[in-house]
Amino acid sequence: MKKIFSLLLAIIPVFAMAQNNFKVPKYEKFKLKNGLTIYLMEQHEVPLINVSAVFDAGSIQDGERFGTASLTADGLLFGTKKYTKSQIEEMTDFVGANLSTYASKDNAGLVSSFAVKDQDKLFDIIQQVLLFPTFDATEFNKHKERTLLELDQQKESPRSVIGNYFNALVFKNFPYANPGGGIKSTVENISSEDAAAFYKSNYTTGKGAIAIVGDFKTADMKKRITTLFGSWKTAEARMVKRVAPDLEFDKSRVLLVNKDDARETTFLIGGKGVDYNSADYVPVIVVNTILGGRFTSWLNDALRVNSGLTYGANSRFARYKYAGTFAISTFTKNATTVPAIDMALQVLDSLHTSGIDETTLASAKAYVKGDFPPDYESAGALARLLTDMFVFNFDENYINTFQNKVDGLTTAQAKEIIKTYFPKDKLQFVLVGKASEIKDQVKKYGEITEKQIKAEGF
Amino acid sequence: MRLKKLLLFSALIAGISVAHAQTKPDDVKTFTLANGMKFLVLEDHSIPTANMYLFWKVGSRNEVHGITGLSHFFEHMMFNGSKNYGPKQFDRVMEANGGSNNAYTTENVTVYTDWFQKDALETIFKLESDRIASLSIDPKMVESERGVVLSERSTGLENSNYRMLGELVQSVAFQEHPYMFPVIGFESDIKSWTQEDLENYFKTYYSPNNATVVVVGDIQADQVRKLADQYMAPIPARGLPPKIRTIEPQQNGERRVNAYKDITTPNVLLAYHTPQTGHEDYYALDLFSSLLTSGNSSRLIKSLVMDTTIASRAFSFLGEGFDPNIFNIYAIAGKGVSAPDLEKALLAQIDLIIKDGVSENELQKVKNQKLMEFYRSLETINGKANSMGTYDVFFGDYKKMFEAPKLYEKVTTEDIKRVAAKYFTERNRTVGYLLPEKNQEK
Repeated sequence: MKKIFSLLLAIIPVFAMAQNNFKVPKYEKFKLKNGLTIYLMEQHEVPLINVSAVFDAGSIQDGERFGTASLTADGLLFGTKKYTKSQIEEMTDFVGANLSTYASKDNAGLVSSFAVKDQDKLFDIIQQVLLFPTFDATEFNKHKERTLLELDQQKESPRSVIGNYFNALVFKNFPYANPGGGIKSTVENISSEDAAAFYKSNYTTGKGAIAIVGDFKTADMKKRITTLFGSWKTAEARMVKRVAPDLEFDKSRVLLVNKDDARETTFLIGGKGVDYNSADYVPVIVVNTILGGRFTSWLNDALRVNSGLTYGANSRFARYKYAGTFAISTFTKNATTVPAIDMALQVLDSLHTSGIDETTLASAKAYVKGDFPPDYESAGALARLLTDMFVFNFDENYINTFQNKVDGLTTAQAKEIIKTYFPKDKLQFVLVGKASEIKDQVKKYGEITEKQIKAEGF
Repeated sequence: MRLKKLLLFSALIAGISVAHAQTKPDDVKTFTLANGMKFLVLEDHSIPTANMYLFWKVGSRNEVHGITGLSHFFEHMMFNGSKNYGPKQFDRVMEANGGSNNAYTTENVTVYTDWFQKDALETIFKLESDRIASLSIDPKMVESERGVVLSERSTGLENSNYRMLGELVQSVAFQEHPYMFPVIGFESDIKSWTQEDLENYFKTYYSPNNATVVVVGDIQADQVRKLADQYMAPIPARGLPPKIRTIEPQQNGERRVNAYKDITTPNVLLAYHTPQTGHEDYYALDLFSSLLTSGNSSRLIKSLVMDTTIASRAFSFLGEGFDPNIFNIYAIAGKGVSAPDLEKALLAQIDLIIKDGVSENELQKVKNQKLMEFYRSLETINGKANSMGTYDVFFGDYKKMFEAPKLYEKVTTEDIKRVAAKYFTERNRTVGYLLPEKNQEK
């Protein structure tokens, strides 16, 4: 539980408002004529403005050219009709503003935070970046070169890449299996023109939203936003029909990723989870808190506190729009790989066999309630919540009923939740470690496939 | 409370004195118990939550060969049972009350952080006072916790090249002072600390007069005082820990160190000795770090990462300390760039500042960033507690926190040029290379 300390920069997750029934503050939602959805929420506590913009331009749209969504999002900041990349950076750095773009699996977006007094400058830059990006070829190619190097460098750290191997194993043919950052052979072949084309067809007002949260008057901001984005003409939003992937497995499988110089084995064990809109997500996270969601969780207790096998063990549900995964995550030195995996499996099994008693459930409820509201404490977090609502198609009801759903969970219901949502067998394993030392022993967990960490992709 | 913070911020941007801000130094109530334990209390009723941060003035600088890593080990052992709360109970009681905790250890301090519902204040006092007064150092828990720390050490080295090179450079930059030790400790020491080592270390450093306790949040200052009297005051004070005797002599010539790892491109670390935190050059040096690596328009990021592909990444930071520590500049080479070429490019940028200085505009940029950073860190009750405690232990007074913005603002372009020339010299430098195994450079 040690953190390297840095003066003035030590930011520790806040924990707040636990006993209040947290509600989403009032906001206004409307559509511009071009179809762009706008959310405005006044928050006057601080003279700051936070912007979150989202588009249906995530890596799910990459097709065979993994990394296109990500390079396109990066490329938005490489210059616009009015400003060069350097000018954008100079202007934002000078006022201490934040401005960044990203692509995740389900969407791409822009996030910004700045002082109210700098809003003319920053809104101008944001309009330029979203409406008039030039994807400057020189900057794009330099960035590509950096990206290609980073694809090699990230494999120096098992923790940075194990999730990509797990997604590739579990999502099979569904696009979530593909690495959002791309692989070298695909990234090499993506040009600035490709990014411009991807931008053109996927950054559409019909499937886009901008949320603004902060110190402004809604009527004034409405005018400003309409002026900035009202005349934006984009391609028609594409309607892609997707069928949720099948994450049922008929057998256990082990993907062993060999890293010759590994001194420890890093692993994920799991399978099917829940999608973003699962009606049972709240009880699922309460149960997961007990299994592997906090320091006193069963996994951390067994693998760390009781046995000293690892610095930490946890379990998590990763949710996306069409599907999600469950995974137990930990690491241990090469020699204790099998004892650690066996123990993790025993703990998972005990969730199914012995279930959860009243005291444990009550403690987990208190913890989850304490942990939840701070996720939406800052204006920046609220802006992202609003755009998440747009991307994943839910509303404030999820937040407003959260605590009641936690409180209402009984041990009998928890039992059903475990049965329905926590994998019991036919588990999917990814182990990153020194194959020569562990291969023979880990065969027992399932059908084994071996990859070299330095081989391209995942 | 967050309102107060940002008013303060905009006042500063407008160049108005900090004294106009609503959160004033006097809002912080302070008292010291008879046993020497110091308290800083700030009421903040914006959310029904509070925290307690305990700053212990013990870190790896207090260690010697054979017991390296003990400060950090106590950060773990403090959760492994005391007289009235058996092993695991600290975390279980806290989490069942909807609270959580963490802790961190540096070369200088060990800090315990508790976050809890306001109604749990007394429970927190009970938990904390019990482990300070009568920690159990159960040999069985010691053995399993050794494994945890060995895993923590190993996973750091497995996943972070900086960790490996940083520890190496530190061990060379310091020839005498205990800042040469990695906070986590040497592997062989971790495996061999004795029960006696542990008991002595606890007695020496966990005396109430060696701590500053900060409580911020939805509590009443009177109530904190009452509970402190009830639970902390009865803990007897012991003598203050021994002073660190060793002073690192001035470095008189560049030192170099190399290591190899199966990595893609070379990593380079430049370390320069700088004065202790609280020294008058602290603010100029901290801004110097921002000038080098804060934002894509900063000197090193722009010239080495953005405009060219000499480096794929660069960062820098001023190491804080009760004693003079080091300023670190770290960079990862771009494809096909050798460690010496990367080093040359880094040095050229530093030399440029020594020779030509920086413009008023560039300095103002990093001052603006610093203010945003500074006040964002004070946005939450946790940020406030951490900053107040940090200023109290490193600058001797939490009030210095309120003066910091003014002191950053006072730094001139001349100061930047002066500290660049004074500290960033060949003689004062340690250079570390982490090189790819297969492509060892000539």
